[in-house]
Amino acid sequence: MNLRIIGALVAKDLSLFFRNRFFTLVTVLGLVVYMVIYFIMPKTVNENLEIGLYAPVILPVFEQMQEEGLEIEVIESEELLKEAVIDGQYVAGIVLPADIMESFISEQKPRISVYFASDVPEEIKDAVGVLIRELAYQQTGQALTIEVSEEILGPDMLGMQIPPRDRMRPLFAILLIMTETFGLANLISEEVERRTINALLVTPVSVKDLFAAKGIMGVSLAFVQAALFMVIVGGMSRQPLIILAALLLGAVLVTGIGFLIAALSKDMMSVMAWGIVTLIPLFIPSFSIMFPGTVTGWVKVIPSYYLVDTVHRVANFGAGWGDVWLSLLILLGFDLAIAWIGITALGRRAR
Amino acid sequence: MSLKRVGILLGKEFLQGPKNFIFIWVLVLPIVISLVFSLVFGTLFTEKPTLGVVDEGSSQLVAMIGELTSVDTKEYDSVSEIKQAVESGAVDIGMVIPAGFDSSVMQGEETELTTYIWGESLAKNRTILRVTIANLVRESTGQEAPVEIEVITLGDEVSIPWNERLLPLLVLMAVFLGGLFLPATSVINEKEKKTLEALVVTPTTIGDVFVAKGLLGVILSLFMGTVILILNQAFGVAPVLLLLLLALGAVMAAELGLLCGALIKDITTLFAIWKLGGILLFGPAIIYMFPQIPQWIGKLFPTYYLLQPIVEISQRGSGWSDIATNVFILAGLDLILIGVVVFALRRTRQFAV
Repeated sequence: MNLRIIGALVAKDLSLFFRNRFFTLVTVLGLVVYMVIYFIMPKTVNENLEIGLYAPVILPVFEQMQEEGLEIEVIESEELLKEAVIDGQYVAGIVLPADIMESFISEQKPRISVYFASDVPEEIKDAVGVLIRELAYQQTGQALTIEVSEEILGPDMLGMQIPPRDRMRPLFAILLIMTETFGLANLISEEVERRTINALLVTPVSVKDLFAAKGIMGVSLAFVQAALFMVIVGGMSRQPLIILAALLLGAVLVTGIGFLIAALSKDMMSVMAWGIVTLIPLFIPSFSIMFPGTVTGWVKVIPSYYLVDTVHRVANFGAGWGDVWLSLLILLGFDLAIAWIGITALGRRAR
Repeated sequence: MSLKRVGILLGKEFLQGPKNFIFIWVLVLPIVISLVFSLVFGTLFTEKPTLGVVDEGSSQLVAMIGELTSVDTKEYDSVSEIKQAVESGAVDIGMVIPAGFDSSVMQGEETELTTYIWGESLAKNRTILRVTIANLVRESTGQEAPVEIEVITLGDEVSIPWNERLLPLLVLMAVFLGGLFLPATSVINEKEKKTLEALVVTPTTIGDVFVAKGLLGVILSLFMGTVILILNQAFGVAPVLLLLLLALGAVMAAELGLLCGALIKDITTLFAIWKLGGILLFGPAIIYMFPQIPQWIGKLFPTYYLLQPIVEISQRGSGWSDIATNVFILAGLDLILIGVVVFALRRTRQFAV
């Protein structure tokens, strides 16, 4: 292999890539759009039900109920409470009647008014109703004969929940990496169609030099963008080396896929067609991170699972090499297999 | 213009179309997006906490849980299954009801209920589920709630579910993907392959070719718009009015497609323009998704006059009198665009008739 030749080929490919307005635009715009989307998404998670309470009489259970996930704030008047509910400060406003204690003592059912803004979903209204009933049971001293034992499975994220935008980080990273597949595949397929690849091979350039150059170009384009994105959105704050290793392996994976698509395609349209068919399954694992519990174990047969899972665990939970080495190893295995298939298919097409 | 020749050209477009990636793309993509959106926004984005249950006996709690509206429930067969579901986040809390639970509770015996909590579950979800479980157990023993609750709704803002907020975007995608892309790519392809020049040396005029390609876009766009409305159960209220609106929208899409076809050199440029120009088409749908944005901004976009009547009819049950003004504006825009397409054709030397 000749490094000087490979360098020249990479420079030529990069220049050709950025000469294509579509792919240049998609590359730059994609990076900017993902960053904008990331930064406009909320950076915190509101875990609590915020409820306002107007109580002319002191009702200890209601006023002191500050369980996890529940914030009850006492308000001075019913009017102020209504305004606060309309303004969205509280999800509900509870008004206790002045004679509530007398009603409890005389075993009558007091009527509790609950104000909701009109756009509050029904399930929240129902949940607040359930909560008030439970508080009333407790206030009237009605004991519950069951003992509830609780076991928390997985790391307890109470008070430090992962914001949706951080859950989406692996999706953004993989989208950026995957977009490059189109560009690389289009570039190679054009070379094959126009027979410039054959012209190159009659020069001192060897097949190995050619594939090495294409591979380096594909990997660098995908890797640099994803790494840049992760740096800017703070995804490298924990274990940056592992994230970089995962992104690099991801970039190798999409380069292999790019070779495969190029071998199957004739023009940009067929690159898009094959690209979409190939890439949709690769996005699925990201959804298992964004919407936990929606995807079952079969997702592990998709190579990109090991990329998004590693990025998610490392960036959001601070996992170390010991936790993710197996995922990285499996990803490397997929990389080698797919790159080999891609190079073989492309080699046959070029011949 | 010869109707016969237009018909023959249209037939050719329909025969050749399915071999083209764009043709398949505009047919499949809106349906796939619609299904994905309805899954993601219909069920996944609900704020309801999820309770998983394993019943080791035959507790009446299971039936009571199933009737709850404030939480989603899922049943599992074994403790290992529910633990797996909790660990994966499929449920917020998994509850194991032991055998003989009901009778123990009825007799006032101290009974243990095992629950597993997903570590990433939100605090409010945990609280809601805890009080829900306590409430259910109390109800199962015949305890009567010591209070009556009166719900009072304040303000007139209406909560629009996400799957409804997304309908305009889906409709626009369905109408404009097919209506715009098919005529545009078809013309550009012919230009790239120089087959257009071959065609116009026959008695076929450039007008015949453009009308045939435009009709293809209109038909496909109308079809896809209808399919999306049916899939989203939004077609039943006033189908004739909706068809009229979709047809006017399809005409607008096809006109824009022909305009792109006349002015753009290659597919790459078309995609590049679509990336930026798409915001002009989908702007009103994005504004509709977020009620916090002043809704008058939507009126600055031409597609508003297609979307607003569709939303009025399908989601608010409005009639002709409520949408007439916007429909006339839409028809007017269509007429103006016809003029622009003809002007663009005349100005472009390549297509000079």
